[in-house]
Amino acid sequence: MSLIGIRQIIPAATKYFRYPLTIGTFQYCTRTTSDPSNVLNDLTDWETLNKKKKISKAMKAYLERAKEHDEFMKRQQFEYNIGKRHLANMMGEDPELFTQKDVERAIEYLFPSGIYDPAARPSMRPPEDVFPARKAAEFDEAGRPHHCLFYTGKPNFFKLLHDAADHLQQLYKYEDQVIRKKATPDPNGNLQLGGSMWVNKDQLEQLLVEKISDLEYDNFKVVMERLVSLPYSYRYKDFIEKFRKPLAVQKFALEIPKPNYDEEGRAYITTYECLRKKARGDVTIRSPGTGKITINKKDITYFDDVQSREQVLFPLIFTGMQNRVDVECNVEGGGPSGQSGAIRWGIAWGLRSFVDKDMLQQMQVAGLLTRDHRRRERKKPGQPGARKKPTWKKR
Amino acid sequence: MFTRNWKHLCRRYSQAVTFRTSEIYPAQHNENQIGLFYTIKPDLCKQLFNHGGLPKSFMKQTKTFTETAIMVRQPALDIMDCIRASDMNKPVIRYVLYGEKGSGKSLTLAHLLHYALEEGYLILHVPWVSEWLRRTPRHKEMTNSQTKEGFVDLPLDAAEWLLHFKTQNQALLKNCELKISKDYEWSKREKTEAGSPIAALVEHGINRVKYACDVIDALLLEIKILSNSKQCKTFVAIDGFNSFYYPMTRLNTPTKKKIKPEEVTLTNSFLELTKNDWNNGVVVLTIDQLAVPDENQESFLPRYLLYKKGFEHLDPFVPIEVGRYTDKEFLSCANYYRDRLWLRGPSDLETELKFTSASNPYNFMLQCAPL
Repeated sequence: MSLIGIRQIIPAATKYFRYPLTIGTFQYCTRTTSDPSNVLNDLTDWETLNKKKKISKAMKAYLERAKEHDEFMKRQQFEYNIGKRHLANMMGEDPELFTQKDVERAIEYLFPSGIYDPAARPSMRPPEDVFPARKAAEFDEAGRPHHCLFYTGKPNFFKLLHDAADHLQQLYKYEDQVIRKKATPDPNGNLQLGGSMWVNKDQLEQLLVEKISDLEYDNFKVVMERLVSLPYSYRYKDFIEKFRKPLAVQKFALEIPKPNYDEEGRAYITTYECLRKKARGDVTIRSPGTGKITINKKDITYFDDVQSREQVLFPLIFTGMQNRVDVECNVEGGGPSGQSGAIRWGIAWGLRSFVDKDMLQQMQVAGLLTRDHRRRERKKPGQPGARKKPTWKKR
Repeated sequence: MFTRNWKHLCRRYSQAVTFRTSEIYPAQHNENQIGLFYTIKPDLCKQLFNHGGLPKSFMKQTKTFTETAIMVRQPALDIMDCIRASDMNKPVIRYVLYGEKGSGKSLTLAHLLHYALEEGYLILHVPWVSEWLRRTPRHKEMTNSQTKEGFVDLPLDAAEWLLHFKTQNQALLKNCELKISKDYEWSKREKTEAGSPIAALVEHGINRVKYACDVIDALLLEIKILSNSKQCKTFVAIDGFNSFYYPMTRLNTPTKKKIKPEEVTLTNSFLELTKNDWNNGVVVLTIDQLAVPDENQESFLPRYLLYKKGFEHLDPFVPIEVGRYTDKEFLSCANYYRDRLWLRGPSDLETELKFTSASNPYNFMLQCAPL
């Protein structure tokens, strides 16, 4: 079935094949904010509001935009639902139980794409994912702002700072109270912040639906650090954790495999698919060992140059396991640097099962657990190499 | 000031661990000294290795360290024990040193040469066979042999070797016990009479380069006879022996004809010497991957490097492998380098170097150079 045929069958679906250029056109969409204190409930009854006599010009303009956007979003939602039903029918599944995940699967099946960048491949997603959220009205029909900090230009951001400062004052007061009463502090009330960090600037902007400058972000961090440094900061745990996000380490710390045991009773773990450049191989690590390294049934002299040997050795030396494990590798394809890089990654990946958590974090920071996805860049026509240009000649 | 402190620290460090033995006579070395360094006296070193014998990179290092220190290792001790235990009246035993590139075959041979010198052997030492057959500098001289039909002479190389022989055996040649058995007539006017000392023969070869190859031929025969008659005991050491059996040399005659090694007179003389048809002598040979071109370096084992012909020529022989450093030897070597201020930095450097050099002595030496 050709692409045109599909478009005829599901004309609505084609609307959502997101291409990077089309996003910028919807600039006047006005909707939702993350702050619940803002008035949103009058969004839908804009008709009755319109009828009222005293309405400021700003409000009028806003209402027009809101109406337009609401209609637009409704239409998009409708088309999305139609498209989803079409897709479900084409895939022979129940349209009622067809989820977004199924939609993605169907699109991948019906429109297979070899485009390198996943963001550029065809997709169909709910309109609220595709069109960015906009701030709702910040003023009433008479043109008076709801928010007390409206005239700062960034009410949500400064509200956050105000709240933080207020919490600070509360904590000082509470500490004084505790000292006055000579009470013992709560033993299980402390804040665990080891596994998380502050949200970065972009994420904070998304949370607040406001653009902030670098200086303002720094101010945010200073205030929050100060709040956290106080002894009773656990009292505002919810507030603090809203602005923290977990580190990536925790994620794979959970999925470390348990080693198997061979007939000699030694723990071993095999990492398959160790890839680097064109080389691929597998690495087996056996735990009580003497530091014997076997690469394709030869010892370390399989590699002639020092650099490759160092690469193989680095994870072992880094973790201090060079005399405690045996390593067996099979690699093929590529050259020495690719093969040694593949082995390095395989050893580091396998060693996860034999080291403690601190070391794991250090390995993560050292970049041992990161796959190197770089490949050889293709040669371009009209020039001698991937980037190299021909020698410039005047004429 | 800083450097002096460093030196001080290193010296104190070096006093704490033993890596050196004060026993400078190789005959006295035993299992207790394995892995330890001993120093060859400079004048002895000059006598033995003035015309080659030590690898070039090692020579550079000795110059830097201002001493020639050689490690006492198991293969050399084994051979010494064998020599002591063997019966000199029986045909000569051929010892073949083999091993990976850079594992210390030549230095083991140097250690044995020192032993032979101290024990009063007459030394016949070829520093590197490929120097004759595979290296072709611009001044390489080649002539057709006048005594043997279809053979090629290398007169300059031969004369150089005679000089080497003369310096190595100064003491033995000085006393005129060793006499030649028959007349040699070189030309109408020049001849060496029976009963004249070997030294005269050698001198003749050096002065009349034209006859150097023939002189060597005669000299080796005479030495065989002298050894058989117990007038001297002989120590033959040939480094890179497998070069004699590689099918082609790099030499060309002026008519652009390729030369095979068996067409060179020197080859024949020395192959004659490595036969076991004489006694009261020792033959130590090394076979080396470096003596043949890159494409024929797949294995370091004797059968591969000597080919069938060479293997049958030497058979039976005593193969002795020179391996990589053991842990003890490696540590001792690292300590020696630290003592010479050649290796600095934290002490866990050694573990890393051990892995990256795979305990290969030559690689270890190379990798320590920039540290």
